Amino acid sequence: MEALTLSLVKAVPALGAAPLWAVSLLLMVASGVVVLVFALTFEGVGSLVLRKVAGDIQARIGPNRVGPNGILQFLADGVKLVLKEDIVPAKADALLFKLAPYLVFVGSFAAFVVVPFGVGLSAADLNIGIYYVMAVTSLVVIGVLLAGWASNNKWALLGGMRAAAQIVSYEIPVGMALIPAVLIAGSLSLQDIVRSQGGLFGLFGWNLFHNPFTFFSFFLYFTAAQAETNQTPFDLPEAESELVSGYNVEYSGIRFGLFFLAEFGDMFIVAALATACFLGGWNVPFIRAEALPGIWGSLLSLGVFLGKAFAMVLVMMWVRWTLPRLRVDQLMRMSWKYLVPLTFVNLLGVSLWLLVFDGKGIPELIASLAG
Amino acid sequence: MGLREYMNDILEAVVTTAKGMRITARYGVDPKEEVTLQYPEERWEVPERFRGFLHNDVKKCTACTMCVKVCPVDCISLESVRGADKKMVLASYDINIGRCMYCGLCVEVCPPKSLTHTGGYEKASTDRGELILHFIEEDAAEVKARVARQVAEAAAKAAEAAKAAEAAKAAEAPEAADPSSEAGKAAGGDPKPAKEEPKE
Ligand code: SF4
Ligand code: SF4
Repeated sequence: MEALTLSLVKAVPALGAAPLWAVSLLLMVASGVVVLVFALTFEGVGSLVLRKVAGDIQARIGPNRVGPNGILQFLADGVKLVLKEDIVPAKADALLFKLAPYLVFVGSFAAFVVVPFGVGLSAADLNIGIYYVMAVTSLVVIGVLLAGWASNNKWALLGGMRAAAQIVSYEIPVGMALIPAVLIAGSLSLQDIVRSQGGLFGLFGWNLFHNPFTFFSFFLYFTAAQAETNQTPFDLPEAESELVSGYNVEYSGIRFGLFFLAEFGDMFIVAALATACFLGGWNVPFIRAEALPGIWGSLLSLGVFLGKAFAMVLVMMWVRWTLPRLRVDQLMRMSWKYLVPLTFVNLLGVSLWLLVFDGKGIPELIASLAG
Repeated sequence: MGLREYMNDILEAVVTTAKGMRITARYGVDPKEEVTLQYPEERWEVPERFRGFLHNDVKKCTACTMCVKVCPVDCISLESVRGADKKMVLASYDINIGRCMYCGLCVEVCPPKSLTHTGGYEKASTDRGELILHFIEEDAAEVKARVARQVAEAAAKAAEAAKAAEAAKAAEAPEAADPSSEAGKAAGGDPKPAKEEPKE
């Protein structure tokens, strides 16, 4: 951030007169706005794509009324949500009820801040990046539980409790499955983790192919993360058929919209973390994006990162329309009996591998054998 | 549960997921035919015996009230008066389709088959009153008044005819029966109502 501020001051001499902290603040606000705009756009377009994909998979058409081929549907939805009556149930705890959707949205949005969109392109390159994401996304639990409790409705309460149980349970395997990437990079910063996967091995420099354990880690992470963000087949908190949509039954209008947006935001975060930690982030095989002159490196890496992340989002949607929803006991069993032990074993495996082979991955080992 | 079973479970989960994803991917990439009906433009062709909204062909209806009696949810109501020709005349015939459950019993029992199901099924409304179908446009009181007038007129006519016939009879009493009836017809117009009227 400081370097960026200094370079900005150098580029625009008029800013030199202002104190450094003011320029910094300006930059922070600006990057926050950029990220927010990105998040909202993604969430809108994501909802449209989701429905189109669902349509194709289920031999339906999907939205096709607003705009050519329905592409403006998400704007129409947004307008509808904003204009709809905002109802607070008479006996609900009004303050908490109103607060809950913001907590959920902030929890999901705040994670965007550290996403490594490209070489040096993230709103903040925190040195505790992954830890920060894990911490900040836990706000969602509080929001969801609050929404369920404050609605003063037994379905909402049950839905909220379920959601909390699910999110808390799956947070463990998610964290455990991400640690291999941290071990390999030796840093919690997402930029560092991405950088550690570059190099001359191209595709095989990615953590996904670092060693067999990281390979499995990726799939474990992906499964657990889908569950943590309430994606189908783990969308029990939603459960429209059993709990009449659970913790958000009582919400209407834009408050409901915030839950909805947060869900899509989470989807992107999961995909982005998978990309950054296992799929090489913004690394392009055989090209060193950092070394490209000027803005080209940033642009290329941005495109590559978004491409990878969107591909992961598509896979999530694909899974979503394939698998039936799990029952609540199956969901818990899956977390505690399968994912948690497996991620621990994997973590152990990765640690041993790093110890035995001196931090080298399979491609490096092969290269050193050959050379 | 042994380790073997545990591992088998995991394997099964992975294999079945992959299988399912292969199927959905095939559809996702090549979404053959769409099953969606673009509703307002395209419509489902209703089968011949579809039980849609009810329609009463009021010209055929005899106001027998069979339909009213048979309806399990009491959604048909009718008012009727006896007309001049002794037949019942409908003063109003309403069906509350908001209550109707389309069981079809009323259609079954209707003797002249005037009550039928149509293919219609769209009647969204923000006002429940709009869900009551009125098959007689005129106001019930007006119909009743009109029918009463007709009945009165007919009665008056009949009375006149009867008087005329009486007079004719009295005048031509000594004569034979055959010409008397002919004279009566000529004097009183249509003798039929005159003959039947007193029975009422
Ligand atoms: S269809 Fe059944 S419910 Fe409807 S009016 Fe006829 S008898 Fe009544
Ligand atoms: S059963 Fe048929 S004829 Fe009789 S009142 Fe009803 S609709 Fe009219």
